[in-house]
Amino acid sequence: MAVAAPGHLNVNESPSWGSRSVDCFEKLEQIGEGTYGQVYMAKEKKTGEIVALKKIRMDNEREGFPITAIREIKILKKLHHENVIKLKEIVTSPGPEKDEQGRPEGNKYKGGIYMVFEYMDHDLTGLADRPGMRFSVPQIKCYMRQLLTGLHYCHINQVLHRDIKGSNLLIDNEGNLKLADFGLARSFSNDHNANLTNRVITLWYRPPELLLGATKYGPAVDMWSVGCIFAELLHGKPIFPGKDEPEQLNKIFELCGAPDEINWPGVSKIPWYNNFKPTRPMKRRLREVFRHFDRHALELLERMLTLDPSQRISAKDALDAEYFWADPLPCDPKSLPKYESSHEFQTKKKRQQQRQHEETAKRQKLQHPPQHPRLPPVQQSGQAHAQMRPGPNQLMHGSQPPVATGPPGHHYGKPRGPSGGAGRYPSSGNPGGGYNHPSRGGQGGSGGYNSGPYPPQGRAPPYGSSGMPGAGPRGGGGNNYGVGPSNYPQGGGGPYGGSGAGRGSNMMGGNRNQQYGWQQ
Amino acid sequence: MLAAGDCTGLEPRPEPSQVEGTLPRVLTVLSFVLERLVARNDRLLENLSGQLNGLGGHGWAMLGKSLNGFHGVRPPNISIPKYLERIYKYTGCSPSCFVVGYVYIDRLVHKHPDSLVVSLNVHRLLVTSVMVASKMLDDEHYNNAFYAKVGGVSNAELNRLEMELLFLLDFGVVVSSRVFETYCFHLEREVLLNGHGGHGEIEKALFDPAPLDDVTELPVVEDAPATADPPSLDQAVD
Repeated sequence: MAVAAPGHLNVNESPSWGSRSVDCFEKLEQIGEGTYGQVYMAKEKKTGEIVALKKIRMDNEREGFPITAIREIKILKKLHHENVIKLKEIVTSPGPEKDEQGRPEGNKYKGGIYMVFEYMDHDLTGLADRPGMRFSVPQIKCYMRQLLTGLHYCHINQVLHRDIKGSNLLIDNEGNLKLADFGLARSFSNDHNANLTNRVITLWYRPPELLLGATKYGPAVDMWSVGCIFAELLHGKPIFPGKDEPEQLNKIFELCGAPDEINWPGVSKIPWYNNFKPTRPMKRRLREVFRHFDRHALELLERMLTLDPSQRISAKDALDAEYFWADPLPCDPKSLPKYESSHEFQTKKKRQQQRQHEETAKRQKLQHPPQHPRLPPVQQSGQAHAQMRPGPNQLMHGSQPPVATGPPGHHYGKPRGPSGGAGRYPSSGNPGGGYNHPSRGGQGGSGGYNSGPYPPQGRAPPYGSSGMPGAGPRGGGGNNYGVGPSNYPQGGGGPYGGSGAGRGSNMMGGNRNQQYGWQQ
Repeated sequence: MLAAGDCTGLEPRPEPSQVEGTLPRVLTVLSFVLERLVARNDRLLENLSGQLNGLGGHGWAMLGKSLNGFHGVRPPNISIPKYLERIYKYTGCSPSCFVVGYVYIDRLVHKHPDSLVVSLNVHRLLVTSVMVASKMLDDEHYNNAFYAKVGGVSNAELNRLEMELLFLLDFGVVVSSRVFETYCFHLEREVLLNGHGGHGEIEKALFDPAPLDDVTELPVVEDAPATADPPSLDQAVD
């Protein structure tokens, strides 16, 4: 074409995508399943590199190429950061020989389109949900800092993620955390007076301004979600597990107080404010409810869970918060333990097997270990409890990070732990019972999870002394390359998932909220 | 050359009461630029064929295959201006989509320099690129099935073309405001330099000030025909 304005156009040179076939990869196993299609762990035949293949569902003929996929691809194309999932390429799979008209040329994309991502072993929710898992304070700081760094990068590149939640934060065995699933992301501009949809972000992590119907918003929406995750890490369970929008708002108001023109100037102008205005006065109780949190953590959380988005802390400022610069410092990701990866897709199957096993056991009147309550990981209050020692909990952190045994792969053949109800962040107060399941016995407990004190910090591990070999690393958490944990009914929204369907309408997940007690 | 009489865009702007028949000027400008380009490329191809005939070759042989998917058997009967008008009229996409669609086509030929936009492929390129632009930009947009009806191709084919386009572009579908403005300026200049002057400020006067970014994201209109179904093209684009 004769018409390019030189110097401005077509500058984006990158290796051509879509030129390779999915046959370049050997599918190892399916690790996710959702409304968008399947996610596979695969090996590139030539290099042996392990990747995740996410198939783009193309079966809605009338819509053509899914807009969420176009958006995700175009956004990931321009983001290059160590804390943002890397989209390596797009590959195609040749379809049937003929197209509808029977033309022999056929459609070379008919068989499917796959997005090729770097492989990540876990997601934050799956990791946290492992039985026996407890994050240390330096570990939480390390994850939070990476989350904020990645998000800051997105925000300065004018991208809103709009679906920050644990299952979209992928973690590899080097301790790196990366933001994933940009299917709801979009670019924004600071001066734009744009109207955006408020039907984004999974309900539990959705900020009050969206719940109140705001259509003009910015990066602060993501920061609310970050606050929810931060609190969840410290608290041990989701803090706002609402089952619908009104209940969601109510839970927020109960903790953060009700919004008014004083704490949130302009709130009364937001479309649905009058519909949801609380009928009784509600005071902010955040400091009271979370009084056991460390002072710096609480301070930062306060600024993340600020009702008024314009006063909410930015990712940049959060990174400068005292929390990240006070003892104990965030640890080096590489010092984190390596956990065996596991994926929700498989763990579901395992859990089914497990349930059958349990029923059999019951019938045989065998005692089965009780399930753990879900308790927060490490409290900083210096209580006498073994697991409540002040300072970092050294279980997961130390100079001798336990290393998962076995091949880089997955012991999917082995039964996993107790089914769904197993607590996330189980307390070490009663660690003994739950994790003596026979099926865990041989699973490499020798890695140091339950052995003695970790030298560098010289503190005894809060659990492990009570005989739970290998429970930690082998837990039945789950990496969700696209499928929320089973107790996230919104299903399709996993990290590599890009489905719009069902998002934001998640129902309260069964065991997720059963111990939701702070607001009583 | 542009059959300027068909398009009101170059006539003095009508009164608001006449808005019914008004087309955004971008359609006219784009028609002009594309028709000129296609005419030139068709000629080029003809010459090539002529030269190669002696050698037993054909002009097409010199072309890359990148745009093959967009080639029809013969040029459609509908002119470029009429085709653009049809797309605009039935899909109601924002005028910006035509500029962005043009950016896509331009990127395409720059990425694949051995490809030419010619009369055999320009229609399919247009409907596909405008549709993708609308998907990226517009609050509400019609689905592929509707665009297929408007464009005179089958749903399946349009889906295939969409995919072709996305891959040929390496999914480079982002058009920044700066690039958008550059193209507006460029299009305007093309017209000015080629004797259709008189209406500067294409960008300000005739584009919606609206949004380059997909500013609003409301649910996609599922076939909700603001207008009735488009009458089928007399002759499908083939």
